[in-house]
Amino acid sequence: MKLREEKGNILRLLFVSSDRNLLFATVVLFLIGLFSIFSASLGMEKNAGAFVVRQATWGLVSFSAYAVVLRVGYVRLLELAYRLYGIALILLVIVLVLGHVVRGSQSWIGFAGIRLQPSEVTKVALALLLAKHLCRHPVKGPRDLAGVLALAGMSLVLVLAQPDLGSAIVFSVMILTALYAAGTPARYLVGLCGAALLAMPFAWHFLKTYQRLRLMVFLNPYVDPLGAGYNVIQSRIAVGSGRLVGKGFMMGTQSKLGFLPEPHTDFIFSVFAEEFGFLGGVALLALFSLLLWRIIAAGVKSRDLRGKVLVASIAGWIWFQVLEGMAMSMGLAPVTGLPLPFLSYGGSSLLSLGIALGLVQSVFVENPRPDDDS
Amino acid sequence: MTRDIGRRSQLNLRLSHLRVFVGYTLLGLALSLLFFQVLRGEHYSSLSTQNKIRVIRTSSPRGEITDVHGAPLAVSVRTFDIVGYPPDLKDARILGEVAAALQKQGIPATAEGLGESIRKQYWAPYRPVTVASNLTLGQVASLVSDPFFPKFLSPTPVFRRVYPAGALAAHVVGYVGEVTKDEISSRAEEKYRVGDLIGKTGIELVHEGTLRGLAAEEAVEVDAVGRRRRSLSRIPPTKGQDLRLTLDLGAQREAEQLLGGKKGVIVAMDIKDGGVKVLYSAPSYDPNPLTWGVSAGEWGRLLKDPDRPMMNRAISGAYPPGSTFKAVPALAALVEKVVTPHTTVYCPGQLKVGNRIFRCWKRGGHGTVSLVTALKDSCDVYFYQVGLWLGADRLIEWSSRLGVGQVTGIDLPGESRGNLAGREWKKRRFSESWFHGDTVNYSIGQGFLLMTPLQLARVYAALANGGTLVVPHLSAGEHPRGTDLHLPREALGWVRKGMEEVVKSGTGRASGVYGVSVTGKTGTAQNPHGDDHAWFVGYAPSDNPRYVAVALVEGGGHGSSVAAPLVGQVLAYLVGVER
Repeated sequence: MKLREEKGNILRLLFVSSDRNLLFATVVLFLIGLFSIFSASLGMEKNAGAFVVRQATWGLVSFSAYAVVLRVGYVRLLELAYRLYGIALILLVIVLVLGHVVRGSQSWIGFAGIRLQPSEVTKVALALLLAKHLCRHPVKGPRDLAGVLALAGMSLVLVLAQPDLGSAIVFSVMILTALYAAGTPARYLVGLCGAALLAMPFAWHFLKTYQRLRLMVFLNPYVDPLGAGYNVIQSRIAVGSGRLVGKGFMMGTQSKLGFLPEPHTDFIFSVFAEEFGFLGGVALLALFSLLLWRIIAAGVKSRDLRGKVLVASIAGWIWFQVLEGMAMSMGLAPVTGLPLPFLSYGGSSLLSLGIALGLVQSVFVENPRPDDDS
Repeated sequence: MTRDIGRRSQLNLRLSHLRVFVGYTLLGLALSLLFFQVLRGEHYSSLSTQNKIRVIRTSSPRGEITDVHGAPLAVSVRTFDIVGYPPDLKDARILGEVAAALQKQGIPATAEGLGESIRKQYWAPYRPVTVASNLTLGQVASLVSDPFFPKFLSPTPVFRRVYPAGALAAHVVGYVGEVTKDEISSRAEEKYRVGDLIGKTGIELVHEGTLRGLAAEEAVEVDAVGRRRRSLSRIPPTKGQDLRLTLDLGAQREAEQLLGGKKGVIVAMDIKDGGVKVLYSAPSYDPNPLTWGVSAGEWGRLLKDPDRPMMNRAISGAYPPGSTFKAVPALAALVEKVVTPHTTVYCPGQLKVGNRIFRCWKRGGHGTVSLVTALKDSCDVYFYQVGLWLGADRLIEWSSRLGVGQVTGIDLPGESRGNLAGREWKKRRFSESWFHGDTVNYSIGQGFLLMTPLQLARVYAALANGGTLVVPHLSAGEHPRGTDLHLPREALGWVRKGMEEVVKSGTGRASGVYGVSVTGKTGTAQNPHGDDHAWFVGYAPSDNPRYVAVALVEGGGHGSSVAAPLVGQVLAYLVGVER
């Protein structure tokens, strides 16, 4: 039987009982994002203010979602885990059938003037599913493994069909992290990774032309210096030219002169790095480290095994996107279109992260203080 | 509980492993940042200030369009543009300097105008934008030798289009213009760039793929002063292919003079392969200003002109063919054995159908007529009767067989189908059933029937060449084959005999006096908007036909007096050229 603490009113929840370091890191990252988006959009044709306003609006929406989730509590949401996952799968199917094709992939649904990416929402549903399923059916044998892979794999397949390779990799990372955190015997994990490595040559076959080009260009940008390789070259120049202290807020030249494509989404870190330099980059990394550290800390504190697994997969999700976003800006990883958490412009990403952090805080809150841990 | 605690600590251990792993990877990122930003920072910093990737484009000339004898209809002439790259042209002060340098050479330019133009052309930082265009070699030479001329601008040769034939062949050749953003995206695989020329209408449009010259593109890395450091990629140039047409410019000129200032069409075609020798539609327009740049006002005036000079009446104008159509029911009736060549009909000057009277054009009537005499004198009553005996369905079916209501397939845009009409059509359009009166009108080429002059030419070509419906074409190369209609020779022979008589002693006499034997038919079509349209269709020489010609004069009056001589002269020219 778990102890359930008196949750108190919502304000207490938000600002007293919850992990304030986590909240602090999140808010600062979001604000940095707003500034960077503003600077990035100065170099674009459209009205610079518009992007910031929309991001701020989505920020508020996400914060409300965060508060709601925190109030409801992760336990209740875990009860609905299978059903929520089912809804997410349905949304993924809908987007395949009805979705808008943006830059070669069908990943958005539009309604009432809002555009939503179901793959982002699915990340949350997947985290809940893994937490619930792996604790109810811990992996003791191959059959358990196959079961969880089949279940989680459905979202993977649907997202690959869009095709959204980036999200597919994030899902895979989440599954792997969840398996690890749930205590799956090491041999199964090693086997899984091995199988994935062996499958890579086959996977190349299924990649579309532009995806292959992105991989080749990552290895050598000069393969296509005016097309896909152009982004890589220009982004690295942006990052590198930031040097120690950066060129200063709004003074980045790469984005203003139009050399950086999609500066407010994919390459937001390049904009930041050019303007705030190495010191800025290290500060950003410190914030992300704090964020991830506190997420996992919530899991350590929790006495609920499901909470640990939940927290782990969310950490994996955020960690991978941070790694990929920053490495991509430096030309150390191929372009995937994954948003940098809290910094990249994008409502769906903010919303799903808001919900995810709400879950993490809920895990933190619904447990006794460290000295009570027995 | 104990098992729970044990499991908990096991999982906690794993969680701390994760924490450590995350820490190391983020440290790795920090080290990478250190490498790029601190260790190699200076290198990248210099790259960013210079950032010099440039794409250099060199135009290729577009293919020439010539008539059948090689006379030029569309040629490319070389002029010069001054181009620069957007990053060098951001500063308002610099734009002012550029404008001043251009003004010194007599080229009107302002800093604001330049800024606006550059914004509209902007595609990427490394793609050139045009600062001034259509310069002569002389202007370029003095610009470049001006010490105040900005070093980051360069002259580049560009090919522009000139149409030596002007309004004479405008409806055939069409014209080119600058490609619009919509055209760029709808033809994305063909890689058009802002500033490229693309065919907008006519042959220039239809044969765009052949005529277009692909620019050479080279991507280079240059240093701060603009000197080449190295070449990154290169696409070699492709010259446009020349296109020879079947059109005879001399005959076209003849047609223009014959029509004088009147509105109408003259079309002439080779009856065997469908090669179009003359396609003239009046009024016409000069395409040269449209290619070189015409003001919005002039363009608007051209479009709103009530005489519609930009409409190619030969293929887009749908008119009632009038009596020229009579060959069709004549042929149909013979083949369907509804009449024989000797079946007679008495024409008292009118025919009563139901409770309506349909008059013949000749008040007193033609007396007794048979197929040949009815064609010769264009007796309406004979054809009213034949139409009724054939019935609407067979009449419509035969019309369709001969190409009525279908595009001919000529290589020009904007063909009209005309109107085949028929029972279903009338039901859909007017929710009424087809009346005998409609059949009667249809038989003499009036009523709901509408044809383009080219469609009519094609019908007569089929009569002349023994029953093949050709596909008219203007380009001299490969062309699609016609369809054999399997028309019985005897029936054809009788219809042709009737039309020979039209010219020998009937209504078409005026076409036969130009030194070449013509076989054809007159038409005077009622025009709801004014005077009757004058038609004549004919082929020559009668015994061994080579060419068919159609003349239509809108509101011209009688086909016999107005249109017949035009066809006679055009055919005489074409046949004469051969000798």
